Amino acid sequence: MKEYFSTNWEAMTTNDWIGMIMTVVTFFLMIGVYFYALRPKNKDKLEKNRFIPMDDDAIDSGDKNGGK
Amino acid sequence: MDAAAEQKYNFDVVRWFTVMAVVYLVVGALVGVYIAAELAWPVLNFDSPYITFGRLRPLHTNAVIFAFGGCALMATSYYSVQRTCGVRLWSDKLAWFVFIGWNLIIVSAVVTLPLGITSGKEYAELEWPIDLAIAVVWLAYSFNFIMTLATRKSSHIYVSNWFFLGMMVMITYLHVVNSLAIPVDLFRSYSVFSGVQDAMVQWWWGHNAVGFYLTAGFLGIMYYFVPKQAGRPVYSYRLSVIHFWALMFGYVWLGAHHLQYTALPDWTGSLGAAVSLAMIIPSWGGAVNGMMTLSGAWDKLRTDYVLRFMIMSLAFYAMSTFEGPVMSLKTVNALSHYTDWTVGHVHSGALGWVAMVAIGAIYHLMVRTFHTEMWSTKLINAHFWTATIGAVIYVVAMWVSGIMQGLMWRAYDEYGTLAYTFAESVEAMHPYYAMRAIGGAIFLLGAVMMLINILMTVAKASSEGSLQQARTAAATA
Repeated sequence: MKEYFSTNWEAMTTNDWIGMIMTVVTFFLMIGVYFYALRPKNKDKLEKNRFIPMDDDAIDSGDKNGGK
Repeated sequence: MDAAAEQKYNFDVVRWFTVMAVVYLVVGALVGVYIAAELAWPVLNFDSPYITFGRLRPLHTNAVIFAFGGCALMATSYYSVQRTCGVRLWSDKLAWFVFIGWNLIIVSAVVTLPLGITSGKEYAELEWPIDLAIAVVWLAYSFNFIMTLATRKSSHIYVSNWFFLGMMVMITYLHVVNSLAIPVDLFRSYSVFSGVQDAMVQWWWGHNAVGFYLTAGFLGIMYYFVPKQAGRPVYSYRLSVIHFWALMFGYVWLGAHHLQYTALPDWTGSLGAAVSLAMIIPSWGGAVNGMMTLSGAWDKLRTDYVLRFMIMSLAFYAMSTFEGPVMSLKTVNALSHYTDWTVGHVHSGALGWVAMVAIGAIYHLMVRTFHTEMWSTKLINAHFWTATIGAVIYVVAMWVSGIMQGLMWRAYDEYGTLAYTFAESVEAMHPYYAMRAIGGAIFLLGAVMMLINILMTVAKASSEGSLQQARTAAATA
């Protein structure tokens, strides 16, 4: 198992490092999004957006959804 | 309301994309049924190179994916982005440029593919001048969508738009990289990649065309049109957010699982399979989210035939997104790869998920944009059953055929020699190839019913004057 997960760090090229860093950073960003989405505190804030398609028959639909 | 919506939004381009999507569904399915029949009864080649399986197969895939699928995506995304943002499309002229450009690309595919003009890249067969045109039109489509989002009146961008946007960004990137080629003349080019790198780029594109075009794009359709048709908000918005980000992060890794047991390094296939398995979780989360939108209102399925299409599509989506990861595992792949099982898997996704959710959305759009009821509700019901039965017959035939093929190819006797010749395995496939052609023909029959219903609805809107009234009222308002 130890051999299977061993890595020859010396052989890593610049491209390898860039790719790995981007992947790991993106992975943690995704975990951050999960944390944000599932945090009970954010539930109401996110769930109120469910109703956007329900409101869009009204002609002022955009303005009704916290218009800018 | 009709007049106000007609005045506020650009429905003209949506109407054209909607009708053309159905035309291409019939054309694409017709070519598909014909080539399925050619495999069962090769005499149908008529010794003409222009209609052999090899030339018509890419025409079929291009017609259903890019002509039908593309027009359905463009109709639904341009409709829903206007409705959810409360603003008109950013540019009417750019929208018409996209409509004309996309249809000209489709015409060029219809001309070049039967002539044998192809780059030889699966799901990206069109030659370099057409690839350039695709890039320009796709960017124009995306730019108009993004600018409409930028000018929105709502503070939040609804989740369906996130899925459409993810598709646009990723398909631009995938199409450009996969199509990088050195032109030799107007109709011939060679990929800048070679050997195993070319194979890897090909399947990085190939699987992500499934992941971002046929999945993310059509999930955009699902997240807007299922709640609208059901008259209920999506079951969980938080689940939709997780579904989106997991899909965006996960799908790009999967391409290598198409190249198990090849010259590609072993670990890349293992990685592709591992992430494929992980993708079951968000995919099923999304399917459950769509289905549970009907929670407490399941009775609607008794009377709402359009909703039936959408919920059936989610059942197929759940099934396909379970089957795919299982097939990516090396042990299963050793049996399934290069067999008809793959064809069955693709069509459970294409006929069951992609076509059905798009068909449901198109029926919804017809009523909303032509300001009239559908010409025949009974025909929608008949279409639902023909589409479902046709898809099931097709998929079952390919499952049985594929597993039998795989088992026959690897069977050997006590001396270690192969138990069956390749020709024997082809002979054993014949009944299932006939069954597949019948399943496809039933699906095609449903598509023809849909086209008739759509054209009659357009004629009905014209004779009733409902569209004209909405336009006139809008003009005088």
